[in-house]
Amino acid sequence: MSNTIHIQIDRADGSLQRLIGLVERRGFHIDGMALADEGAFRRIALTVRGRDSGRCMDNLGRQIDRLFGVRRISNDIIQSEAA
Amino acid sequence: MILMTAAAFKPSAETAPQSGARLLVSTLERLGVEVVFGYPGGAIMPVYDALAGSKLKHILVRHEQGAAFSADAYARKSGKVGVCMATSGPGATNLVTGIANAMMDSVPIVCITGNVAQGLMGTDAFQEIDILGVTLPIVKHSILVRSAAEVPAAIEEAFHIARSGRPGPVLVDLPKDVQFETTADDYGFSIPNEAPRVDHDAIAAAEAAIRAAKKPLVYIGGGVKIGGATGALRAFVAATGIPQVSTLNALGTIPTDAPGMLGMLGMHGTRAANHAVQDSDLLIVVGARFDDRATGKLAEFAPNARIVHFDIDASEVGKLRSANVAVVGELREGVEALTARMRSGAALNIQAWADDCAGAAKAGAHRYDAPGEGVYAPALLKEISEAAGDDFIAACDVGQHQMWAAMHCRFAKPEAHITSGGLGAMGFGLPAGIGAKLADPSATVVTIAGDGGFMMNIQELATLKRYGIPLKIVLIDNSSLGLVRQWQELFFAENYSEIDLSDNPDFVKVAEAFGIEAFRIDRRDQVSDGIQRLLAADGPCLAHVVIDPRDNVWPLVPPGKSNAEMMEGS
Repeated sequence: MSNTIHIQIDRADGSLQRLIGLVERRGFHIDGMALADEGAFRRIALTVRGRDSGRCMDNLGRQIDRLFGVRRISNDIIQSEAA
Repeated sequence: MILMTAAAFKPSAETAPQSGARLLVSTLERLGVEVVFGYPGGAIMPVYDALAGSKLKHILVRHEQGAAFSADAYARKSGKVGVCMATSGPGATNLVTGIANAMMDSVPIVCITGNVAQGLMGTDAFQEIDILGVTLPIVKHSILVRSAAEVPAAIEEAFHIARSGRPGPVLVDLPKDVQFETTADDYGFSIPNEAPRVDHDAIAAAEAAIRAAKKPLVYIGGGVKIGGATGALRAFVAATGIPQVSTLNALGTIPTDAPGMLGMLGMHGTRAANHAVQDSDLLIVVGARFDDRATGKLAEFAPNARIVHFDIDASEVGKLRSANVAVVGELREGVEALTARMRSGAALNIQAWADDCAGAAKAGAHRYDAPGEGVYAPALLKEISEAAGDDFIAACDVGQHQMWAAMHCRFAKPEAHITSGGLGAMGFGLPAGIGAKLADPSATVVTIAGDGGFMMNIQELATLKRYGIPLKIVLIDNSSLGLVRQWQELFFAENYSEIDLSDNPDFVKVAEAFGIEAFRIDRRDQVSDGIQRLLAADGPCLAHVVIDPRDNVWPLVPPGKSNAEMMEGS
């Protein structure tokens, strides 16, 4: 199953490479990507799918959220699954 | 990635024009940096030119990997940010293993690399590598500096990011034209991403989980030391009496000979620690990340335990094992809040469980009466740590000796045990010892290395000699890649493939060729005198200890097995 994550990220050297690299290294396929400039930022809609059932979207959201330069990420992705 | 826009940063008071290289040096001085480990080259020559006459003590290592490892250990021991620098291309790529090491163990280092001028970037220029791209997966953050005016802000932000929250390595790449460029501007720095505050509802839930448990156990990770929470955790343990187990990187957080400390868990953990984890009904995980070397087969790890997980990094909570209670934020704040709540209520009724754990630890205590006259490495390591006392710091390399040191040395404090835990990088021990000794010249720093790892950065003996660093080295030589040999013996039907190192050089002669005192120990009756000689030496000294190559590390959890399935040797 695919999920679309909405991210606002700084426009800076390597920021896109950093984001895409993280998603793929954490075990997700990128099925689609839309990108729009917003001045000093980029708005990205990233459609991703886990390589296997063990890949947790919430955890991916938290991994993305801790990148420096990520300004916003859609809330439904970064909700903690821990009670 | 940092936005270096004029809108984001405001110029400070007008200053005389300075080069980007000079701004780098003055910023490092202003940040209180005392020691920098590095190796010069073409693309960072302006920085080395600016170093002359600065307050920075530059340690010229003999390989850039040594610079990164030394900076890593310096940071672990001092609690400050370690700094290393290298030139572009091969200089920068030689830092990579050290950067990855710091990333895996959450160590704050700032790595400064020169690069070709911006006009040449992307043209495959001489010694050009996209080091920012190369290191993206192994840094906490990285910054490509585009102008001299951005240098101070970039360095300050790099330091802040490296040491804040969950620490880690930050790379700052300085093109050569930026180093040459002069500017009177000196932009300020805005503080990003602060650690989340601890949720006190979660603390209340943690208390409730602990009070409901019959067999609670504290699972201590390296984050406790990194988070400055050692004292807080010791107070929590003292207040509750809950038994503890430790990861490799957390050894010494609770003194290894303290009652209630069951030792290291995992692949080379103690039987008492692993059985306690498997029997526990509540794991209080503090600054640990469920590494596979600690958990064994994850699906069978602590099968009956609920989890209370303290971590500053939200992405670690639930990554491998779901938490029933998650406490995300500064560890010290979280643990102190929990301790206060535990103290204000009734004492826990867990004496039977604590007695069971203590009994298992006593029954499973290591024995040191190995037969024969050959040197028994566990006994030697135990003796040297006890002889050195509370000032003992072990900078361990990777291999059997590393596991023996973890299992048999006495560690009184967490910074006493410096090792490449997450990455397991051979070659770490010698440069790490240099970094630790420079961080704390009064400590008794001992590099514990095997013959394989020692050969990987043996050139740093020259660094020891040049600066007269009185590091002690215990080189445990089994003329083989011991841990690989052990796995081949146990899990590959004794098919010994490419593990023979019997053509090693004479290490005593090698050390002496570098101008370093050295001697050999190859019989058990030489051990005590050898340890005394090593510890008493005024300068650097190497003890070359020859052991039986058939000696194995026990106990051992086979790879892919549950921690309940420990193998014992003969």
